[in-house]
Amino acid sequence: MTDGPLIVQSDKTLLLEVDHPTSAAARKAIAPFAELERAPEHVHTYRITPLGLWNARAAGHDAEQVVDALIEHSRYPVPHALLVDVAETMDRYGRLRLEKDGDRLVLHATDVPVLEEVLRSKKVAPLVGERLDRESVLVHPSERGNLKQVLLKLGWPAEDLAGYVDGEAHPIELDEDGWAIRPYQQQAVDGFWDGGSGVVVLPCGAGKTIVGAGAMAKAKATTLVLVTNTVSARQWRSELLKRTSLTEDEIGEYTGSKKEVRPVTIATYQVLTTRRKGVYPHLELLDARDWGLVVYDEVHLLPAPIFRMTADLQARRRLGLTATLVREDGREGEVFSLIGPKRFDAPWKDIEAQGWIAPADCVEVRVTLPDGERLAYATAEPEEKYRLCATSSSKTRVVEQLVRANPGEQTLVIGQYLDQLAEIGEHLDAPVITGETSVAERQRLFDAFRAGDIHVLVVSKVANFSIDLPEASLAVQVSGSFGSRQEEAQRLGRLLRPKADGRTARFYTVVARDTVDADFAAHRQRFLAEQGYAYSIVDADDLPHAGSAAAGA
Amino acid sequence: MPAPRSLADDLRSRDDATLAELLAGRPDLAAPVPGDTASLAARASTRVSAQRAVDRLSTPQLQVLEALVALSGSTADPVALPALVRACSAPRARVLPHVRHLHTLALAWGPDAALRPVRAAADVLGPTPAGLGATLREAHGTRSPARIRDLVEDLGLAGTGDPVGDLDAVAALLADPARLAELLADAPPASRELLDRLTWGPPTGAVPGADRAIRTAEAGSPLEWLLARGLLAAAGPGHVVLPREVAVALRGGAVLARLDDEPPALARTRHSPHVDGAAAGQAAEAVRLVEALLTAWSAAPPPVLRAGGLGVRELKRLGDRLEVDADQAAFWAELARAAGLVADDGEADAAWAPTPASDDWLDLPVPQRWAELAGAWLRTSRVPGLVGEKDARGSARTALSDDLDRTAAAPVRRMVLEALASLDPGEATSETALLDRVRWQAPRRVGALAPRLVAWTLREGAWLGALGLGAVAEHGRALLDQPPADVAEVLRRLLPEPVEQVLLQADLTAIAPGPLVHPVAAELALAADVDSRGGATVYRFTPSSVRRVMDLGRSADDVLAFLRGASATPVPQALEVLVRDVARRHGRLRVGTASSYLRSDDEAALAEVLAARAAAPLRLRRLAPTVAAAQADPATVLDVLRSMGMAPAVEGDDGDVVVRSPTARRTPPRQVPRPVTGEPPTPSAETVTAVVAGLRSGDSEAVRRAQAEADGTGEPPQLTATDPASALAALRDAAAQGRAVWVGMSDAAGRLTVRQYSPVAVDGGLVTALDATSGQVRTMSVHRISGVAPA
Repeated sequence: MTDGPLIVQSDKTLLLEVDHPTSAAARKAIAPFAELERAPEHVHTYRITPLGLWNARAAGHDAEQVVDALIEHSRYPVPHALLVDVAETMDRYGRLRLEKDGDRLVLHATDVPVLEEVLRSKKVAPLVGERLDRESVLVHPSERGNLKQVLLKLGWPAEDLAGYVDGEAHPIELDEDGWAIRPYQQQAVDGFWDGGSGVVVLPCGAGKTIVGAGAMAKAKATTLVLVTNTVSARQWRSELLKRTSLTEDEIGEYTGSKKEVRPVTIATYQVLTTRRKGVYPHLELLDARDWGLVVYDEVHLLPAPIFRMTADLQARRRLGLTATLVREDGREGEVFSLIGPKRFDAPWKDIEAQGWIAPADCVEVRVTLPDGERLAYATAEPEEKYRLCATSSSKTRVVEQLVRANPGEQTLVIGQYLDQLAEIGEHLDAPVITGETSVAERQRLFDAFRAGDIHVLVVSKVANFSIDLPEASLAVQVSGSFGSRQEEAQRLGRLLRPKADGRTARFYTVVARDTVDADFAAHRQRFLAEQGYAYSIVDADDLPHAGSAAAGA
Repeated sequence: MPAPRSLADDLRSRDDATLAELLAGRPDLAAPVPGDTASLAARASTRVSAQRAVDRLSTPQLQVLEALVALSGSTADPVALPALVRACSAPRARVLPHVRHLHTLALAWGPDAALRPVRAAADVLGPTPAGLGATLREAHGTRSPARIRDLVEDLGLAGTGDPVGDLDAVAALLADPARLAELLADAPPASRELLDRLTWGPPTGAVPGADRAIRTAEAGSPLEWLLARGLLAAAGPGHVVLPREVAVALRGGAVLARLDDEPPALARTRHSPHVDGAAAGQAAEAVRLVEALLTAWSAAPPPVLRAGGLGVRELKRLGDRLEVDADQAAFWAELARAAGLVADDGEADAAWAPTPASDDWLDLPVPQRWAELAGAWLRTSRVPGLVGEKDARGSARTALSDDLDRTAAAPVRRMVLEALASLDPGEATSETALLDRVRWQAPRRVGALAPRLVAWTLREGAWLGALGLGAVAEHGRALLDQPPADVAEVLRRLLPEPVEQVLLQADLTAIAPGPLVHPVAAELALAADVDSRGGATVYRFTPSSVRRVMDLGRSADDVLAFLRGASATPVPQALEVLVRDVARRHGRLRVGTASSYLRSDDEAALAEVLAARAAAPLRLRRLAPTVAAAQADPATVLDVLRSMGMAPAVEGDDGDVVVRSPTARRTPPRQVPRPVTGEPPTPSAETVTAVVAGLRSGDSEAVRRAQAEADGTGEPPQLTATDPASALAALRDAAAQGRAVWVGMSDAAGRLTVRQYSPVAVDGGLVTALDATSGQVRTMSVHRISGVAPA
């Protein structure tokens, strides 16, 4: 028995004791195959999943390395069954390979019974063609993605060795003038490029756009960038102009308002998934050029139809960018099979420790519902309950109090319900941005905020993603999409751009005590708590009424 | 000492130690205790007992027995040791230990110069011991005298005019290797090939018209060439047989090609230094899974199927609960039962529920618990691997049902473990090598299921944590020959040391980085839910878990004080807030127990009742101005109120709130199921000594009786009733040795007559015997014989 920092649990979670002298080595050893699930202060939890093990196989690690890492760093005996399971799971990857044979795409098996097994599946049958010999079968090139997806579901993930098309060449260089790509960003780019396709996981504010730009500079080919919304598209555009050799004419915007197709085209998920009379009129964008690279921003939000479209893009290099692979809909497997395995991952706190993102204090402010509202809440229909407590009038007062207590901070007030936001906007005398605000107006308000002309913005969920507001240092969250963990992470992410004076950002969540609001808040916070952001909790009555910062209790 | 005339004689002449060895090696002979050596010999000669003994022989022991049986032939001729050694194709030193073993086990008897197999043992081996067919005399004995004469002529022998003499001459010729070689020198190649095919068995071949009469002159085919010369004999119209002596001669005078007295090597396939660790980790897991099974079945015992066993759906539910597949779920259920932890509760709606013994088991530390489980596993005759397979009637076998016992299971399991334990620590071998070894060790005992039993043993051993990475762990080794306490001690050293403190974290988890000492674990289990188990335990605090501990009367300060004491780190603020929050809300609504209630719109009337002394037994408590709760049933309350001169009315019975605490189901005390081994338990050394002493005194009694009988010469002895097995054995012995015996028999009128007979044959319940006085041959049915004594 060694005295390692790692404890292997029977449910395939790994507990890593952070303060142990060899925890860094252990972390390095398990990182290739285990997903970091929680990173609170003392003991981090990693989980071994089939996807994680296959990710490791895809990155060239074998079962022996994994077993050795577990045994070497484990403090206690590792159950035999777990080791066997790890070895067997890893062994499943790569028994089937997708390969190029001239112009043909071939599914080749190193283990014939496995091929027999999958060919017998009803789901596989329509995706493959003629049986070439005992070990291989022809695959329709258009079914490359679907096949990979089905095989993953069957538990026999195929190794995709069929390569990529180069795409239409286009010169793109990083323009490192007055800035430099950060080391972890470079690692992410290299990790992606070596792997061919895949996902890079970086916290909000850690510069995922730069990773995208770096990947383009590697590919030196026409690129399609898919983003969540128009504002985010504009931001990508301005960032690319600033960071690369690309000029205005080379970057096209393909959104609800503009339909430009240029060597680098930025499109929104929404426009691609717009449906008219049962067809997707903008789908042809995907084939409009011979794209050499497709970038998916916020891949954890990728809508299901995009998955289906992406299944057809398997011959092109694909880069997914995200702050979290957690999908509320549990479609992590599709990200793995259609975009690619995870190629780079860094815990938030690590990047924060390196000074690349701002440190943040998270505070949960609890308010008590006034008696009248409590009664209304107690007797409300279940589906109305969240709305009732989340929009409590007592929250508005607390928001006001918080904003007044922090004068001079660039403040965002974020909420879910428009009438609540309108009311708060009125109280604070601050502009409100919702889905109904025109793009131009949004742009104007964001610019004013960045410039410091406006100190407080009240925003709906339109600001959840990809809005670069570098100087925002205080956010107050009043309501959200129920218990969404990734929304919480995104909202905190708004604050994490390093501040000019290096100060700590502050993230307040106002929660109604003893209601479902508190339950949802607990669920939402789990992700951040697991990432090492410890929430402190204060009672609204204990908030200082004026003056400087409200410290956590 | 004169040579013994029978097995009984032989046994009587053995010393106490040898007899004790026999009884230890064949426990069935000691249960029930035999009265004297004669009945011991009789019992040893029964087919059932002989079969048991033969089934336990190893490959070389069995080979030597086969050789002995083959040489001894159907006439049970004595075989001299040198001849037996020669037949075994091995030097005397290698054969002798096996001969001694057979002799000790009373499968063979007689001095080295005249060894005989016990007839029942020969019967067990079947008609073709060592792949040899019938003897020449038997094979050709079915021919008519004329055809025997033809054979003599065709072989160029001088006829004796007597069929028996002729047959002897033929036998003498064909059994002589030199003369046989001479004869075969002229054989057509195809005939040689035919002989070669039959030489090493099986000795018979199917041919049409095998019993045709052929003379050398007319022999056309290679087969006919052999038939005409008596090298093959007809064994019926459609089969030919290679006579035993011819085969032995063709085998170069030996019976065995070689004596397989070297156990098959266990090729080392893998070596790992992590075996003990992996197995110990799994052992802890095994204990946890059984505990989880008990918890699940304690709360909701699954029903016993009408045909016995556990339903498929219940098995799946168990698997889901334990997060294992159905095969493994079946294993844990069977293991829990074999260890006496669950049983059929015997209720009208029978269910599988934990036994009272399970509560004791749960109180033990993990290593002891494992030792008990592992011990039960090693001994059990249950084969969970059969679950889900179709039985003879085509329905799937269910776990815990009656048809999962296999006599070979426990021996194979032990043999596999022993084989693995014979390797160096950390070394594994292949399943095939293990199977070969097991088959070598007890070829007849392991049976057709052997390959799967070996595979299942490896699988179950790994699940249980006795094996790790295919090799046996230190505690698995200890299991073979050490008492449970020592096994537990070995395992304890491999398992992590208990810890006393947990780490509390802001994400509302507490992590015990090792097995937690009991008081802390128990309290923490109340205040938090277990998120993940293994080497460490992760607890998660939730509002409901904190509420649970407050329901038990703890205040927020109690809980926080406990956490501060149990934690190596400060209590995170989020956790403190959670505890205080729950405490604040706790008890806002209150629930109590009342047997009935009293309600009145008239507050004064209620106050009157509450104040009355006569109402005191009702233990009334005022809940509100108009409501009081009573701790007495409605009928009593009514009676009391009426006796006070009131006129209460009944308000329906749905106000009756009775809270019962959930009961954990237990069966009545249950015995641990006995493994079905087909063997009586091995007698202790004391028992064996006592039995031997009993035999001796029984014998001296018999001698005294015989002496008394001998004094009254020629008079029929006073026959004591002999049990049929002894009677049969005595008659067989007498027949084999041509001795006369006194036979007591009841005649048709029920009178007992005692006469002297020389038994000729004993077969199929009939005894053919020569009446010494009348000189007539009589056939008697065995069941009429009441006693037999030597004349």
